[in-house]
Amino acid sequence: MGKIGIIIAREFNTRIRKRSFIITTMLMPLLFVGLMIAPTLLMRMETDNSRTILVIDHSNVIGDKLISNNKLIYKTTDKSEEDLKTQQSGLFGYIVIGADVIKNPNDIKLHTYESSTLDTEYAINRELNRIIEQERLMNHNIKGLGSIINNIKSNAKVTSFKIEEDGEKSASSSALSMGIAYVFGIFIYMFTFMYGMMVMQGVIEEKSSKVVEVLISSVKPFQLMMGKIIGIASVAITQFCIWMILIVIFSNIALQMITIDPATIQNSMQMGASLPAGVDTEAMTALTTLTDWSFLLSIFGSFIIYFIGGYLLYAAMFAAVGSAVSSVEESQQLQLPITIPMMLSIFIMISVIKEPNSTLAVIASIIPFTSPVVMMARIPYGVPTWELVTSIVFLYSSFIGMVWVASKIYRVGIFMHGKRPSFKELFKWIKYN
Amino acid sequence: MEILSVKNVSKQYSNHLALDDVSLSVPEGSIYGLLGPNGAGKTTLIRIINHITAPDSGEVMFMGKRLCADDVYKIGYLPEERGLYKKMKVGEQAIYFARLKGLSKSEAISRLKYWFTKFQIEEWWDKKVEDLSKGMAQKVQFIITVLHKPKLLIFDEPFSGFDPINANMLKEEILNMKKEGATIIFSTHNMSSVEEICDHISLINRSKNILSGEVNEIKQRYASSTYDLAFSGDEEQLSRALFGVNIAFSENKESDTKSAIIKLPSTDGVRDIISKINETVDIYSFNKVIPSMNDIFINAVEGKLNL
Repeated sequence: MGKIGIIIAREFNTRIRKRSFIITTMLMPLLFVGLMIAPTLLMRMETDNSRTILVIDHSNVIGDKLISNNKLIYKTTDKSEEDLKTQQSGLFGYIVIGADVIKNPNDIKLHTYESSTLDTEYAINRELNRIIEQERLMNHNIKGLGSIINNIKSNAKVTSFKIEEDGEKSASSSALSMGIAYVFGIFIYMFTFMYGMMVMQGVIEEKSSKVVEVLISSVKPFQLMMGKIIGIASVAITQFCIWMILIVIFSNIALQMITIDPATIQNSMQMGASLPAGVDTEAMTALTTLTDWSFLLSIFGSFIIYFIGGYLLYAAMFAAVGSAVSSVEESQQLQLPITIPMMLSIFIMISVIKEPNSTLAVIASIIPFTSPVVMMARIPYGVPTWELVTSIVFLYSSFIGMVWVASKIYRVGIFMHGKRPSFKELFKWIKYN
Repeated sequence: MEILSVKNVSKQYSNHLALDDVSLSVPEGSIYGLLGPNGAGKTTLIRIINHITAPDSGEVMFMGKRLCADDVYKIGYLPEERGLYKKMKVGEQAIYFARLKGLSKSEAISRLKYWFTKFQIEEWWDKKVEDLSKGMAQKVQFIITVLHKPKLLIFDEPFSGFDPINANMLKEEILNMKKEGATIIFSTHNMSSVEEICDHISLINRSKNILSGEVNEIKQRYASSTYDLAFSGDEEQLSRALFGVNIAFSENKESDTKSAIIKLPSTDGVRDIISKINETVDIYSFNKVIPSMNDIFINAVEGKLNL
């Protein structure tokens, strides 16, 4: 194993054995899947305590037509209001409907034994309005009205298709694309920043603890810098792979827990049929997608390509900054040329998600400083091959250029102590031989 | 034979000249002291020898050939600023540095075992460096420096931070390594250690090598014409006999011997003086006062020495 190999191994081994690494690696996917299934689980819990409402119907029109669902159960009653004034067990409350309710729809009163919720009131309003509107229509005495009404009922649902270059069409969900674009853009940003900072801290640590003096008598500064950058990159990729695998496993477990077979969701989504009641469709769609290996692999592939490119580009800059300063606090100002393009790429990403093919989106996904985040955000929507290739070529060639510049600064910087250098001085260092 | 020779090396940093046409040669198997005040350019010279930085002009020859990158395997360097990864375990860290110096893992482990036993620090193997005291960390660092059995060892202030017992142990190890054929360059401000163990020295001041040579030869070279006399007899008579000679007596209460310091304008005529003394009093001893390295260092740096 070459010297870079030995350095990479040390960077990798010391970092993945850290307790903080192990904890975040295990907890993040759990948190992620947890947040996705929480709404569904909550809904499940709510369905268990359905509310029973007694209906005192003075109009004799409404009561029979009220349709109960698993949240609200309507029961017409002969009891008088006086009988119900006292607390009744197993009841949420009662509704008093006025005799002339069709003409005067405000003559409805809800009395509850426990505090009512907006949700419940809306549901009751909707149900009553439906019946009153229907009754009013009936009063016009139109022939065959019942069948007309059944006929005009519609439940429109848009199924979207993306036209690929090879002409094949596949169903795509824009909500899902947007979600994935967002998540992966943020992922790249987060990973690049987090692990880039780690490179900088590592360089500063070696410099301030003078380890670099010992190291540099056995290895070249370039080897030391690249070893650190690559070693930390492999930590990041390891963490990402573990996250992906755990998210898939946890998603499967989560779906099983709420007793839904991923295949049935996929089927029902394709058929356009409705899901079992009480299941949050969006979350379920997302969860199911996360159990779809081929989709994950294509996203995963581009993530790796853009993460490595973007990370290497930024890590080289972080390493150069780390070598020039003697503490993390001192690095703030020199970090600006790194943090500004990173923040910018997040802002651009947010607009790109809404307009994935705008001029801004195309340009920003080719400029190497913004391309990792922005392109990652565009990929789920589909990107022309030439743009992808140009962007990757630009990214990787500028990374090589940046490593060259950074190694020049690094070589001088690691032996410099005392005053923090200005940008002008850094520029001078590049020109040293 | 010379193991290392530095020829006309100059190094310019952005705003100062760190080394100005420095030449020196280190004989194989010697202990070579690199002396000089802070900021004189010693560390820059050591870095050039370690192939960390390149000189602007001049060259460094190592074992008869121009110094190249692979020579670092044959050099061990203990920098003045000791550096170890604080969060890493001692054993693991020592293996890491050894492997960077070209040792295999198993070789590194067996050699480390030997040294850890020798220094009786086996129980430190699994400790983190941050849990060690400064002196303990120094020991570990020393082992790391010598582990790959380099032909040339460079110690920058090796004794700083050591208690007298450990400093002695270290001194013995250095002499041992010399016996085994290693050449040692060490940079220090501690002149007594120079006198004790160095064979040769170079004195670097303001980027220049102002004094080089064998320790004893240098001392003789700068010995003044001052003599130390012990005798018994009459002081008055002696004064009269040596009329015109700068002589200062000092009382020696514990014995009958008396002593005096005699300063002559030059070393010529010493025999004449001795015979005059011999005629007047009984001589117990008559010694030339040899300057300490400390005096030579201070005088040379302050420009009082005739170089």
